[in-house]
Amino acid sequence: MMRLRATHAKWALSALGLAVLTGCASVSLDQNINRVNVEAGSFTEGKLALARTQEESDQRAQAAQALLAQPLGQKETVQLALVNSPSLQALLAQGWAESADAAQVGRIANPIFSFERMTAGTELDLGRALSFGLLDLLTLPTRYGVATRRIEQSQLRLTGNVVDQVTGVRQAWVRAVAAQQEFQYAKQVYDSAEAGAELARRMQGVGNFNRITRAREQAFYADAATRLSTAQHQVTASREELVRLLGLDESQAQALKLPERLPDLPKQALDPQAVGSLATKARLDIRLAQAALDGAAKAQGLNMVTSFTDIELTGRRNTTFDNAEGTRSTARGWEVAVRLPIFDWGGMQRDAMNARTLAAANQLEATARAAGSSLRESYSAYRTAYDVARHYRDEVVPVRKVIAEENQLRYNGMLISAFELLADARDQVGAVTAALNAQQQFWLADAALQASVIGRPTNTSLSVTSSAPSGGDAGH
Amino acid sequence: MTSRRDFFKFAGIAGGAVAASAVSRVSMAALPEPVIQSSPNTMAPLMPNSGRPYNPVVTLNGWTLPWRMNQGVKEFHLVAEPVVREMAPGMKAHLWGYNGQSPGPTIEVVEGDRVRIFVTNKLPEHTSIHWHGQRLPNGMDGVTGLTQPAIPSGKTFVYEFVARRPGTFMYHPHADEMVQMAMGMMGFWVTHPKAKHPLIDEAQRDFCFLLSAYDIEPGAATPKVAEMTDFNLWTWNSRVFPGIDSLNVRLNDKVRIRMGNLTMTNHPMHLHGHEFVVTGTDGGPTPKSARWPEVTTDVAVGQMRQIEFVADEEGDWAFHCHKSHHTMNAMGHDVPTMIGVDHSGLAKKVNKLIPDYMVMGERGMSDMSEMEMPIPDNTIPMMTGQGPFGSVEMGGMFSVLKVRKEQKPGDYKDPGWFKHPAGTVAHEYTGPMAEPARFSAEGGQSMPRVRKPATPTEVKVRKPTSHGEH
Ligand SMILES: [Cu+2]
Repeated sequence: MMRLRATHAKWALSALGLAVLTGCASVSLDQNINRVNVEAGSFTEGKLALARTQEESDQRAQAAQALLAQPLGQKETVQLALVNSPSLQALLAQGWAESADAAQVGRIANPIFSFERMTAGTELDLGRALSFGLLDLLTLPTRYGVATRRIEQSQLRLTGNVVDQVTGVRQAWVRAVAAQQEFQYAKQVYDSAEAGAELARRMQGVGNFNRITRAREQAFYADAATRLSTAQHQVTASREELVRLLGLDESQAQALKLPERLPDLPKQALDPQAVGSLATKARLDIRLAQAALDGAAKAQGLNMVTSFTDIELTGRRNTTFDNAEGTRSTARGWEVAVRLPIFDWGGMQRDAMNARTLAAANQLEATARAAGSSLRESYSAYRTAYDVARHYRDEVVPVRKVIAEENQLRYNGMLISAFELLADARDQVGAVTAALNAQQQFWLADAALQASVIGRPTNTSLSVTSSAPSGGDAGH
Repeated sequence: MTSRRDFFKFAGIAGGAVAASAVSRVSMAALPEPVIQSSPNTMAPLMPNSGRPYNPVVTLNGWTLPWRMNQGVKEFHLVAEPVVREMAPGMKAHLWGYNGQSPGPTIEVVEGDRVRIFVTNKLPEHTSIHWHGQRLPNGMDGVTGLTQPAIPSGKTFVYEFVARRPGTFMYHPHADEMVQMAMGMMGFWVTHPKAKHPLIDEAQRDFCFLLSAYDIEPGAATPKVAEMTDFNLWTWNSRVFPGIDSLNVRLNDKVRIRMGNLTMTNHPMHLHGHEFVVTGTDGGPTPKSARWPEVTTDVAVGQMRQIEFVADEEGDWAFHCHKSHHTMNAMGHDVPTMIGVDHSGLAKKVNKLIPDYMVMGERGMSDMSEMEMPIPDNTIPMMTGQGPFGSVEMGGMFSVLKVRKEQKPGDYKDPGWFKHPAGTVAHEYTGPMAEPARFSAEGGQSMPRVRKPATPTEVKVRKPTSHGEH
């Protein structure tokens, strides 16, 4: 590094001092969380807060306990996640860290103070130097801009992550409630199968059935037992998934109560226009891509300079003591050091920056183009799930009910046997299970659509439900 | 001509009979106005007031078709058409029949009458009428394709022949027969003797009905026309018990019952309390030497039987087909036997899934007539009918012969339940029970089985009383 010396650098230093004190980028935790709450408040229907003190932690625990006192609806479950989930807390903390890192870019590096002490014979040389990166200072406004955009990005990312988490919680809740309901039905099937098998056993006992007829009736019972076990595990698995997403501890997990059934279908499905207009306002994905592009573009301008050269301004004050002569002299000056762009003219760096900006621009374009499409897909999944669930509610289940009623009348008239009645009842439960499944699909799609509207498209694949008879031997 | 006026008079006699006005006046102008019957009740006998005199029959839950005399010829008008037939209160069937009912009206003529029958086809397909058992010109026999072209929809054909021999006959289609008979197209025909006949006695009461079977799904109304054997409704004149009227007679009346079988199986018809003789078949009156007393006579498929007896025992006497499943209404044929099966604890479990489930058949099928549970619409319980002592637990081909001292001659009104003289009804025995001597000659098997069954079948009889030690 080459050093230039100068004698009057006072003005420069005071100017620097002012600049340093005024324009530095900064970000606070509260600011971050506020941002999430503003962005996603209507989505989460609640407020996030990061607990840093014991008092705050206690408050959160209390809020969680209050929520856990009742069976948790979907909305309350999200509230519980907001106040209780350590992973959401982790997200907040991480987001804060990210924003702080981003803010760092917009700050000026601290000045370097160096002190030399050299003796030569009777001479003592004390050298003091205070140096600043001059370019650091000059580019501060630009870097401030970059930092702001990076903070913006990190905040949007944080919001996105929160949305993902909440969507996950919503869907896990739907699965857990549905699994309970399915288990209840499986139990009814099991009971009726057990009664049928027992009746068949007694029929054989008094000689009214032979072995094969009894065995046929028993086969379904055996099958029903398997289904019941599977359904039971499904209850545990889906509940535990929810427990993890909510971050419940052991005692909280035990306190967790879920409603017995999924909410009814809304009277009307959202119409596509309404969904479209909601979505165009502020999609997170587009804004994140926009912020990435802005950041890249800003950084590009900055790096044109910084990659080319690095200028360091140093103010010096050297005092020389001559012990032999008993004199002292002081020399003042300044020094500018410039990195010579001999080996690296910054071309690579500029290329990288250009490329990044280009990538970000295209990413924005891609995101914007995909946004409408993914929203349409989410809406289609939502609408299909709604229509299917309604069809089950209005057509399939009532028809099964008519069949069940008519079979009861036939049984009353001794036109069919108890076994046929039981077989049909099991088929009916099959249809009800399928209807329930359709309802579950709807609420999953509903959660996915909400996420999609805010700009976090989630998987919207619908699984096929069928009300085909359960395969029990429907009598003879 | 007075016949037209007579005709309306007859229509009045025939209860709910009405003249059809829907038929085209122009095409029908020269034809006797068809008479349509709307009631399924047994109509009073149609006393002849034109043509040769005779002793009319009573058609169970049916009626006799009025005629007009046209220059010495008896003219009838049959209209083949879709009808709604009440098979018993609470069940209406969509059938095909004649003049508003299935079976069609009974045609009564006298030996030697020249008969002209107009047949208007208001069915969706062609038809024809075969005059079962009659001697007639071949071209009048009514076999589609063989002796005549089919009567197309909307057309009227005319049959004309002389009723040559007295006896009991039927009429039915001979075109798409399987369908048209499964839908209820049939009718009775009686040719009365012109003068006193050595083999035909005078009778004070003369009843007639046709046996027919239908397969109508519980809750439905139209028969399944492709059924061959598994019918669920066994009828007399397309009625099932408790929808079949009783045969009401006066004590010591000579009673004649004429039956024709248009089902696909035989019916052993059984009368309680009296012996009868078979006095006629499709072939005519049976020789006196060929008659022997019976209480059951089998009426084979496509046959007619005419039985006679003196109703000399007062009371309410069952009269029915002796195939027990023919005295049932619609019932499950694939229902396992539940008798003796302990249901304890099961109903409750089943109720979780099927709230209205009740245990039935544990003791037998009487549960059915005792429980009075709702059954499918337009269906009659499989065994039913309230008698003076409770449910008669019957259905299908069942009725009651009511013999009463006080029944007026010619009065066919239902006299109500029989009032038994004191001490003549079976009752509970409350006296001491002596242990009877038991048969104990236990002989060995002449040819023991080589292989014995692995485990002997244990018979557990569930008894209604607490005499567990028996
Ligand atoms: Cu029979």
